Amino acid sequence: MNTMKKPDSHTSLEMPRGLHLSASQDGVIHRILDNMMVKCPAEFILLAEISGPLISVHGEKGMTDLNALGALVAGDLAASQEIARITGQYQHAQLILREGPETTAFISEVGEQMVLYMRIRKEVPIGWARLIILKASRILLEVISAREEEVEKLDLDVSEDELNALIGDNLDSIWLS
Amino acid sequence: MHINWQLRELNLKIVYYGPASSGKTTNLDQIHRRVDPAHRSDLVSLKTYEDRTLFFDFLQLEMGKICGLTPKIQLYTVPGQVRYTGVRKLVLRGADGVVFVADSAPSRANANIVSWHDMKSHLVANNLSLEDTPIVLQCNKQDILGALALADIKYFLNVQEIVCFPAKAIYGEGVLDTLKAITRSVITKVQRQTATV
Repeated sequence: MNTMKKPDSHTSLEMPRGLHLSASQDGVIHRILDNMMVKCPAEFILLAEISGPLISVHGEKGMTDLNALGALVAGDLAASQEIARITGQYQHAQLILREGPETTAFISEVGEQMVLYMRIRKEVPIGWARLIILKASRILLEVISAREEEVEKLDLDVSEDELNALIGDNLDSIWLS
Repeated sequence: MHINWQLRELNLKIVYYGPASSGKTTNLDQIHRRVDPAHRSDLVSLKTYEDRTLFFDFLQLEMGKICGLTPKIQLYTVPGQVRYTGVRKLVLRGADGVVFVADSAPSRANANIVSWHDMKSHLVANNLSLEDTPIVLQCNKQDILGALALADIKYFLNVQEIVCFPAKAIYGEGVLDTLKAITRSVITKVQRQTATV
C-alpha cells in the first residue's frame, strides 16, 4: 500500500522537539568532517545526536557496529557530564580525552544536541588534534544553530488508522517468528 | 528525535524502563532474536560481572519506508537496580517514548510503584513531561503463579488510561505487541505535532 503524498517543498513549520538537519546542513557537516580527517589527520570520526543516533561517519569503519558505537559514545559523554555535574565541575563544551599507546580518542560536546568522536594515531600531536576537534565542534554548533530559511515538512499526511496499519505491517514484515 | 532530510531518516529513541529483573533486557533479547538480522543492529549490553545491566542495553531496528521516511528505532533499557538511579536518568535523555515493564509478581508490586515514580522524576529532570511522552505499560511475567491482573497493576500505578499489554517476555509473548504499540504512539505523536502547525 502506498499512501505517500507528494511533499510540499515550500511549506514551513515548527518541528517537534529534536534535531532536524536539512539537506544543506547535512552537506556542510560532511565537508567539515572531511576537512578534519585530512587536516588532523584523523583515523576515524563519528558525529551522533546526543541520545545516540548517527549523523555522520568518516574514516575506516571495518566491522564496527556503528549504531552501537553511536549509542556508546553518547552514553560515554552522558556519564562524563554527570560525573562532572555531581562533583561540581560541569562546564559547557567539555572534551573527554582517552589517551592510549597506539591511538587516542576524543569525545567532544557539540552544544546540547550532538557529540563528536575522533580517533587519531599516536603520530598525531594530541595538542594539535585537540585544537582541531574543539574548533570543529564550534563550527558544527554554528551550522546546526543557523535557522534554515526553508524548513522541510515532515510529510506523514496519512490518517492515524493508515499510519498504525503501516507501522504494524512494517514490524510484522521484519519479525521472523 | 533526529530527522536527517538528506537521507530521509527518522531516528527515534524508545527506552524500556522498570524495576530490577522485570524483564527489560529479556524484551530486547527477544526482539534481537526474532527480528530479521538485515533490519537490526547487534545487541549491545553493558553488564556487571553478575550479568545485570550496568549502563544500558541497546538495539537498533530499521523499518521499511513509511510515508517516504525510513524510521530507525533505537531501543534502550535502563539498569533496574535501585543504586543506578543516576544512570537511568542519563538513559532517558532524549527519549521519544517509554515502555514501562512491570513485574506481575505480587511481591514486586511496591517495586513497580517505586520505579514508576522514579521514571516520572527522571522524565521531568530531562525536560520531558509525563503527559506528552508516549508510554506503554507491559505487565510481564504473567505466567508466574498468582500473577497480578493487568487492572491491579494499573490500579497500583494509578494509571487507568494507559495502553497496556500482558506479556511472558521470556517466551516472546507480548513483546511484539508492546513494540508495535510504542512505535505507533511515538510516530503518531510526531504526525500530530506536524499536523497541528
